Amino acid sequence: MKIMICDDSMFVRKKMKDAVLAAAPDAEVVEAFDGQQAVDKYTAEKPDLIFMDIIMPVKNGVEALTEIMAIDKKAKVVMASSVGTQENLKQAILAGAYDFLQKPIENDDVAKIISKALK
Amino acid sequence: MFTQFFGNYLLRRQLVSSEQLSEALQIQKNTRLKLGVLAINAGLMTADQVEKAHDRQQRADKRIGDVMVEMGFLTKDQVEELLRTQPTGHLLLGQTLVDKGYMSNAQFESALKSYKEENSLSDSDMNNTDENAAKKLVAGFYNISSGGGSDYAVNYVSLIFKNLIRFIGDDFTPMEPFALKEPIKNVVLQNISGSTNMTTLIYAEKPALIEFASRFAKEEMSGDDEYTQACVSEFINLHNGLFAVNVSNDTGKELQLEPQCYYDEMDIKGLSKACVVPVHYPFGVINFVIAM
Repeated sequence: MKIMICDDSMFVRKKMKDAVLAAAPDAEVVEAFDGQQAVDKYTAEKPDLIFMDIIMPVKNGVEALTEIMAIDKKAKVVMASSVGTQENLKQAILAGAYDFLQKPIENDDVAKIISKALK
Repeated sequence: MFTQFFGNYLLRRQLVSSEQLSEALQIQKNTRLKLGVLAINAGLMTADQVEKAHDRQQRADKRIGDVMVEMGFLTKDQVEELLRTQPTGHLLLGQTLVDKGYMSNAQFESALKSYKEENSLSDSDMNNTDENAAKKLVAGFYNISSGGGSDYAVNYVSLIFKNLIRFIGDDFTPMEPFALKEPIKNVVLQNISGSTNMTTLIYAEKPALIEFASRFAKEEMSGDDEYTQACVSEFINLHNGLFAVNVSNDTGKELQLEPQCYYDEMDIKGLSKACVVPVHYPFGVINFVIAM
């Protein structure tokens, strides 16, 4: 299983990577620092699941989600943000998000999403 | 939150020194009883259930008692009963100071009485459970009048203390606010736009910032590097995100957060109206800045 983590914070990427590997030790983890990198890497890497921050420089998470869904309608993109407002949830759902994670990230939540995505 | 403001009151009245207060806050942290322990003690919950409730609480901006009720571990009546027997923080702080010989019982009793009178606080206000009373205390302490954008300021500052208790530790004392007058160092900045425009910052001396980051990340930081900066940046992002969620839930208005930036040194142009909210921890002072 290949999982992409897209967040501009190296702190969040590390915590998220730890959570992913705790749930799926054999997973290959690909990292992206902003939404544009995520779009570029999606085409090359074709990850099975993506954890995507919303507030990022260059290209934000919802824009990147929209572009990735245009490339692949079956892409599984989980939006992870501290700003879990109704508006952000709505935007994410309309753009085709697979799920939404409210930060701070909990390992159990990451494990549940990975388990659901593998079914 | 009342404990921390009560600590500030004791400092201002010169009833205790900063060092004595820090020590007491740290000792109190180690000895304070919490709802979970009380529930275990009363035979109402297992330790495993308490752990699960704490895990759930980390993901939801809710009181632990509400989470325990939601999860079916306790009834509302049981929570209320336990809370009635729970020693409140300011009492434990006072007891710790008396035990250490830093204050007499009479001094503590007198300080508590005048503190409550000066802030128009009732006994139930002091129980740390009434959010409106906490906001009233914040508004009074920082001299923020009601109405307009000041509601944002009160809510924002109240949430800072709530999140410090939740993510960093409750062994802090809020210090008097001040205006920025000179360039600041080791700064994380995040702008907020939408129904109101705000610039928010955290800055501190490097050793304090490193310890702050270590507590937030729950891991030792090797030093002042990009990872430490990213960690502090994530704290402000998390705090501002939760603030935006509260504003959205309370008013239906949306706020947008911009990516955070880190500066080794920053001039204060454009921040003439900024208010610094310093918070004293045993490891140093962390400064929160809000400019609206």
